[in-house]
Amino acid sequence: MSTGMTAFPTALPPQAPLKLVVSGPVGAGKTTFVQTLSQTPVVATEAEASEDIGKTNTTVAFDFGTLHLDGQELHLYGTPGQDRFSFMWEVLCEGALGLVLLVAGDRPQDFAHARGILDFITSRIPVPFLVGVTRQDQDRVWDPADVALYFGLPQEQVVGLNATDPAQAREVLAHLLELTLSPQPALG
Amino acid sequence: MTAILSKQDRLNASLTNLRTSMPELRGALVATVDGLPIAQAMSDGTDANRVAAMAATALGLGKRINDTLGSGQLTDMSVGGAQGQVYIYAAGTKGVLAVVTPPGMNLGLLHMEARDTAQDVASIL
Repeated sequence: MSTGMTAFPTALPPQAPLKLVVSGPVGAGKTTFVQTLSQTPVVATEAEASEDIGKTNTTVAFDFGTLHLDGQELHLYGTPGQDRFSFMWEVLCEGALGLVLLVAGDRPQDFAHARGILDFITSRIPVPFLVGVTRQDQDRVWDPADVALYFGLPQEQVVGLNATDPAQAREVLAHLLELTLSPQPALG
Repeated sequence: MTAILSKQDRLNASLTNLRTSMPELRGALVATVDGLPIAQAMSDGTDANRVAAMAATALGLGKRINDTLGSGQLTDMSVGGAQGQVYIYAAGTKGVLAVVTPPGMNLGLLHMEARDTAQDVASIL
């Protein structure tokens, strides 16, 4: 506990952290995305996967990371991908100011599931979102523009990235912040 | 009895044992740590898939809390309400045991029985 004059703030600091959620199907790169971006050690809840999902571990509660972007503190929450954890999508999206829906660009068989997750979340919590098409370093990968057509979204709402690339991941967040912060007219 | 029982039979037997020794329990369920139900003896009307996923989520979060607080390996965690409680036990590294109880349980007995069951489940998995 700090002992200075700011120990008992009476109002939110001018730069209250923004809560952003990262969701999408299993293997889209949600945990990687949070790990790539976070400037603090990521709180991860991974458990050994008992299904064949192409990897040994899977997130069962959430991943939590924080970072500063353009002077704004961001709190990132990554969700589990399986439908059986849909209650966590709701829990984590409460009070969120933005959503990044990731889908692996080389796994078109996951697109329908990704669409389902997006509908599940946005029908309950209207939150500005971006679709991120990951694994852009793979040979056979869908173009963001084509994924935008599939999702029926404007092209500027779908971006390609490698979840392991910090610069690209930060760009996605910057883009999302524009969506989140710009459409609301200034108060007064 | 020398018949070799399947894993499923042994897990079911383990849950049945627990429920027999504590008939007031509302249900017991074994799931994988990634939230898939493996065996269950739940009261009617409870969605085992959902409880299994929630048990795995709670266990995963409990492990992280324990790590952060330096409390060592997680043994169990509980969620309580006015109408009942859920106790969630780690069953080895692969499994999780969830036990749903009415309010006012004999907790000492419950922990003793359920930890035995969790150990049993861990050895089966």
